[in-house]
Amino acid sequence: MFAFPFILILHAWGMGIIAGGNAAIDLRILGFAPRVPLSAMAKFYPVMWFGFVINAISGFLLLMGYPTKALTNPVFYLKLLCIAAGMVLMSRLRRRVVPEKKPASPQGKVMAALSLIVWAGAIVSGRLLAYTCKYLLGDLQC
Amino acid sequence: MLMMVLNHTLDHSLREFAHWLSTTTLADFMTGWWEWPIAESLHFIGLSMLIGTVGLFDLRLMGLAKRIPLSALHRLIPFGIAGFVINMLTGICFLTNAANQYMYNPAFHLKILSMAIAGINVTLFYTTMFKKVQTLGPGEDAPLPARIIGGVSLTCWLSVIACGRLLTFYRPPAFHWCFWC
Repeated sequence: MFAFPFILILHAWGMGIIAGGNAAIDLRILGFAPRVPLSAMAKFYPVMWFGFVINAISGFLLLMGYPTKALTNPVFYLKLLCIAAGMVLMSRLRRRVVPEKKPASPQGKVMAALSLIVWAGAIVSGRLLAYTCKYLLGDLQC
Repeated sequence: MLMMVLNHTLDHSLREFAHWLSTTTLADFMTGWWEWPIAESLHFIGLSMLIGTVGLFDLRLMGLAKRIPLSALHRLIPFGIAGFVINMLTGICFLTNAANQYMYNPAFHLKILSMAIAGINVTLFYTTMFKKVQTLGPGEDAPLPARIIGGVSLTCWLSVIACGRLLTFYRPPAFHWCFWC
């Protein structure tokens, strides 16, 4: 009874942490707040991984609640794709761009810009899941 | 007796306000099939911008990533403010279209309360701690009051998100809560 709203809260918190944290690091790579030592931002990675773990678990539980609703909706796969791309970009940036002392290379900046786009995409597609579903449970329509 | 009269008057004016909101062009605009979902998506993006910048600043105040000077990290705060503005605007869109869904909703009251506390907290920060904190170099700890302000800020914004998520579950008329009625 209380579980479902509670899981939704966790999912929103995790979203803010992972998408917001990535956005902050991406903005720094793109040249904003230039006096922030990029390498020191590595300290925020465990926080973002924490957000990811919260959302992987809460997302799995939400999926178990209404499996048909998500799995029959193409937008759900778009969301997963955005998240996968976001996570790949996050680890690449962590390895190649964050430790560098000098300003980010053009490739680094492109990755940061892409990261902003895919996390926004993950948020929007996640939000639209509520409006684009066809089946709620089994043959029951939304 | 006086309280009863005051409460009655307050309830009456709030009802009139809600009714007026429902007659505005904005309320009408929000009734289409795409406006509400788009506004919600923007609301969630704004939320992430706010928690991603203000939240990181709070964590630094509390002692994480101390190599970052607070004055440098503060340059990201305008993005958090932009997120807040997006959320105020989209929030007004929701409220205008469905005022009764929010006015008598305990989750909404708690959300406003959390934002009010965050507002007082941030005012305290800029009036008492900001100058001190701006002079801190890499590796230096923020003073204790500033650390507490950081913790309060983070707690308030996480509470705002939680209450926002709970709105759906306390919607009138199924659930009705009105402390001024």
